[in-house]
Amino acid sequence: MEKKYFLKKVSDYAIVGGMGAILITSFTGCEDKNSNGQNSQNGTINAASQKQGAFVIVEKTDNGDYKIVDEFPSTSTTIVLRENGKERILSKQEIDTLVAQESAKIDNGTSNLTNPTGMGGMSLGETLLASAAGAIIGSYIGNKLFNNQNYQSQRRTNYKSPSTYSKSVNSFNKAKSSSTSKTSSSKKSGFFGGSSRTSSSKSFFGG
Amino acid sequence: MKLQKLNKLNNKYLESIGFNWHTDIDNTSYISDEFITLTELEAESFYDATNELYDMYCTAVQHVIDNNLFHDLNIPFNLVEIIKESWENDVHWHLYGRFDLAGGIDDKPIKLIEFNADTPTALFETAIIQWAMLKFNNYDETKQFNSIYEAIGDNFKRLITLNSGIEDFQKHYEKLNWKILFSSIAGSSEEEHTTKLLQHIASEIGFKTEFSYVEDVEFSDDGISLNNELYEFWFKLVPWEDIGIQEGELAVILTELISNKKTIILNPAYTLLFQSKGMMKVLWDLFPNHPLLLETSFEPLKNKKQVEKMCFGREGANIAIVNSDNSLEIKTEGNYDNFKPIYQEYVEFPQDENGNYYQAGVFYSYEACGLGFRKGGQILDNMSKFVGHIVE
Repeated sequence: MEKKYFLKKVSDYAIVGGMGAILITSFTGCEDKNSNGQNSQNGTINAASQKQGAFVIVEKTDNGDYKIVDEFPSTSTTIVLRENGKERILSKQEIDTLVAQESAKIDNGTSNLTNPTGMGGMSLGETLLASAAGAIIGSYIGNKLFNNQNYQSQRRTNYKSPSTYSKSVNSFNKAKSSSTSKTSSSKKSGFFGGSSRTSSSKSFFGG
Repeated sequence: MKLQKLNKLNNKYLESIGFNWHTDIDNTSYISDEFITLTELEAESFYDATNELYDMYCTAVQHVIDNNLFHDLNIPFNLVEIIKESWENDVHWHLYGRFDLAGGIDDKPIKLIEFNADTPTALFETAIIQWAMLKFNNYDETKQFNSIYEAIGDNFKRLITLNSGIEDFQKHYEKLNWKILFSSIAGSSEEEHTTKLLQHIASEIGFKTEFSYVEDVEFSDDGISLNNELYEFWFKLVPWEDIGIQEGELAVILTELISNKKTIILNPAYTLLFQSKGMMKVLWDLFPNHPLLLETSFEPLKNKKQVEKMCFGREGANIAIVNSDNSLEIKTEGNYDNFKPIYQEYVEFPQDENGNYYQAGVFYSYEACGLGFRKGGQILDNMSKFVGHIVE
């Protein structure tokens, strides 16, 4: 991008005057549409998704536990492991091995994921299965895990911050609900929907 | 610091022009009735510094793309492609941004704090409200560094003419008739009216425009539409990183639309690179010890008072000021702690006699085009006040 500048000086900024009258008279046309009772459900349901995988970033903490730093839907599943300040992508084989080990632990009752008294931090395999991607990468042990009542509460604790968890749940729920809804046309809408149209809060944008 | 008390615009008038966020939740006025007085030389310096910084940012973006540093800047992986696509082609024109700067008054040197390049707010108050207050108080309106309204209008024309000269806008537009759809997320009056102010400017110079909440906008292989009508441009007052993280599918759709040249999005995806505070580390690498920059690193600085902030933090959240002996001076909580931290050398903002701190915000739209200030505590947050200025 080549940028060129007007070589104007601050003292030339006298042109501002002209806009005022026009602005003040015509800008009142921008009425607030917040209170017109539009149906806020419109468009929020149709958010179809082609995302069946997840992108997950897992971090090894100083005391050797693993935490989910971030995750979001993706067309394929990728697990990034952050360890000693370095990041690498886990291979399919590594993931399979971890899931198999975890499966054995679930079978003999030593997995933190299904153990209500599970103490301390999670191993890498447990952390992966506690992520939203766990449903995908561990699908063959799904019944053991996802019907277990301790699993939901355990996985919540495995996120580095609460907002990462809720963010993750929200985006995956959206993908899930839309995959069962019919799409009669190829158009998609409803992004960033669902918030109230009636508040008038200040923005959080702009730093 | 020279402050000057002005008569305030009343709330009814402010609401009549769409400025509904004049009062903060603690019932205090968001618009300060004291204006900062600065010299023409000080205003010139803000103008020059901002133009220079923008050039430096452009150099740095090219460096990030050439060296694949997206991850260093905490860019969501699903936006890398669209960022590259948008940077390759000049039709993806940067409409406007706002530089936050320390210093510039009281003989303090101007220092870059950050660049809000993607979804800057404070547009309405800087472009309109401080100008209207100046007029209301019978000041000569040339006494303000503020041509934001005109500069953005001219830059809208460049969406059509690019670098070939805005005087040919009408001639080219008659043939193209490209329309702009303006969108914000439902529920925030400030965002909606900031968006509608931009729509107003675009309409006034001759663009066909429409407004719609993001949730009602339709996306298909043909492009972006509303009520079955396609729009060539889509202005979205939605941060790109939110699109990447919260609406991953939308990121995929938009990437396809951009690479198939079906739509042009404002601000372009590459402005997310400007927006990442990680960029200030890249700038320091490329322009070490530049007088407009503060030392910035991805690791804590040694033996220096510094500010820790997150790559995509906002409104003063998740910021820590750490003293040179490593003790914590002040810290704020927030929802941005899953972003990557950067460490920026601390610089004290100019202060008034009541201990309030002031940070300058300079809008940039093809060139530096207007100045405003925010006043608050040591960390400026969502409760900070807007302060206008007079150039003497």
